[in-house]
Amino acid sequence: MTTLLEVSGISVTFDGFRAINNLSIQIAEPELRAVIGPNGAGKTTFMDIVTGKTRPDEGRVIWGEKSVSLLGMSESQIARAGIGRKFQKPTVFETQTVRENLAMALHNKRGPFDVLFYRRSKAAAARVAELAEEIGLLDALSRRAGELSHGQKQWLEIGMLLAQDPRLLLVDEPAAGMTPAEREHTTDILKRAAETRAVVVIEHDMEFVRRLGCKVTVLHEGSVLAEGSLDHVTRNQQVIDVYLGR
Amino acid sequence: MSEPEIAPRKRFLAENPSALRFIGCLALFTLGVTVLSEGFGLAFLSTSMVKILGMTLCLCLIAVAMDVVWGYCGILSLGHFAFFGLGGYAIGMWLMYARTEGIVVQSLAAAPIPPTPTEIENAIATQIFGVVGSNELPFVWGFAHSLPLQLLLVLLVPGLLALIFGWLAFRSRVTGVYLSILTQAMTLALSLYLFQNDTGLRGNNGLSGLQNIPGLLHLSQSTLAIWFFWASALALGLGYLLFAWLVSGKFGSVIRAIRDNEARVRFLGYDVERYKLVIFTLTAVVSAIAGALYYPQAGIINPAEIAPIASIYLAVWVAIGGRGRLYGAVIGAAAVSLSSSWFTGGGAPSINLGFYTILWTDWWLVLLGLGFVAVTLFFPRGIGGLFDYLVRKP
Repeated sequence: MTTLLEVSGISVTFDGFRAINNLSIQIAEPELRAVIGPNGAGKTTFMDIVTGKTRPDEGRVIWGEKSVSLLGMSESQIARAGIGRKFQKPTVFETQTVRENLAMALHNKRGPFDVLFYRRSKAAAARVAELAEEIGLLDALSRRAGELSHGQKQWLEIGMLLAQDPRLLLVDEPAAGMTPAEREHTTDILKRAAETRAVVVIEHDMEFVRRLGCKVTVLHEGSVLAEGSLDHVTRNQQVIDVYLGR
Repeated sequence: MSEPEIAPRKRFLAENPSALRFIGCLALFTLGVTVLSEGFGLAFLSTSMVKILGMTLCLCLIAVAMDVVWGYCGILSLGHFAFFGLGGYAIGMWLMYARTEGIVVQSLAAAPIPPTPTEIENAIATQIFGVVGSNELPFVWGFAHSLPLQLLLVLLVPGLLALIFGWLAFRSRVTGVYLSILTQAMTLALSLYLFQNDTGLRGNNGLSGLQNIPGLLHLSQSTLAIWFFWASALALGLGYLLFAWLVSGKFGSVIRAIRDNEARVRFLGYDVERYKLVIFTLTAVVSAIAGALYYPQAGIINPAEIAPIASIYLAVWVAIGGRGRLYGAVIGAAAVSLSSSWFTGGGAPSINLGFYTILWTDWWLVLLGLGFVAVTLFFPRGIGGLFDYLVRKP
């Protein structure tokens, strides 16, 4: 296990509100990590910073063996460097088919002219089918993403994330709005993905986190309150006070 | 077009039957007009009618470009007619220069002493710019003597303007209505600039006599009209195929995704700004080609053609025809521009209500506005969207 992502000492202020306060997190590769915390703890802002959507006021975000700083990079450059993101609210391209959504996410050259002269290949089609199978949407490949149920959209987005073949997956509330059976399937997908890469899951649902069975980071008011196994952090008195006790 | 590395044309057309159908319709229409034309056939259509139809095809081409930039990529540009106009100016400069040169050389041939090249140039400059009180050839006319160079400028001037403007605007992430306002401002600025007499493009007089093609003066206008009609039909056909190919594959998938949620596309690793720039510039160049074919048929170009309202009309055509479907843009542009010339050109009979007479020259805009509202309310997918009901799959 080597450190893939190192976030150290970052702070962000929105209109005087300190969303992130001297936050430091390290993610190894491969690793499965759950990030929990009450509303407003800075979980989503943390992802925004790593993916380049928000610039921190101070601190460093270092990526990979070459220790590249992500702070000067655009969202698309960061994505190409190998960081994939799934949003809290499923955001798939609703007017396009499941196949088109997955094909767009496939790990390929991203330049306009590369894409313009892109030729469909059997290998790519096979990869799309394989992903669709994994997310249970093989029969829905030709359907428009907008017609899918909420849970299926969540899966499609996870599938798009896997299609990107990133080294780090940032997954924001993957199980929101899912039935228990769907949750179980989602857990399996994430666990399998974490065998070869780094996966960071933001989740509210304790039961879901327990099933992931991984190291947990508890955020509170923009910084790390506790870190360790779920049992370890749930025994922490501070954690109980600010989060679990309520 | 020769793009050997793309998917074979056969497969592209097989997968996009609407492109094939469109080319078929266009070919039939071209054949029909040719047979009925004054210059080539039964003389059922007057030369001015053939010209109007040829110009309409050019407007259809810019509408298709507008549909790609707006309907597919979500950039509501209110400036594409500026590129159209610049294309027209670029070709107009050669047309006017070369024709004036012919006249000057002819008239000076009778002089006792043969004229020097400088004298010829001065005479041309006086002929062209006397109307704005100048007798010098401005530097922007430096290439006007050469058709190939001026044709190159048809592509380069609008292309570079779009590239620079787009680069600045997209890089700063100007989107939505703000971008529309910016493109509108660019158009207005360009139009106001051209209205000035000292900009070297004859101010509000514009360029005229463009229907006389130097080197082809022995041909009648009726023949030229049908030639330009064919050229316009060819340009529309090729442009349509180019854009249909562009929006059909993965590239089309990405630009539609940009239209629907550009932030998400960035997180997939696509450089959204570069895609927008490619689309904006490419459609600007195609608009310029359409303009370069349009103005020799119109015969005159002046800065009023570039006025912001023209680009707004363009958006109205595409909205009425139906966004996000290339044939919709063609239908919208053809229907609206042809009815516009029918209503405002005195074709439509006035309606006498006894107490008031409806003159269509005054009321056409009201009718267009009502039509626009009606389409938006009742057929949000435009006239082209009606085809969806015909081919709806169970």
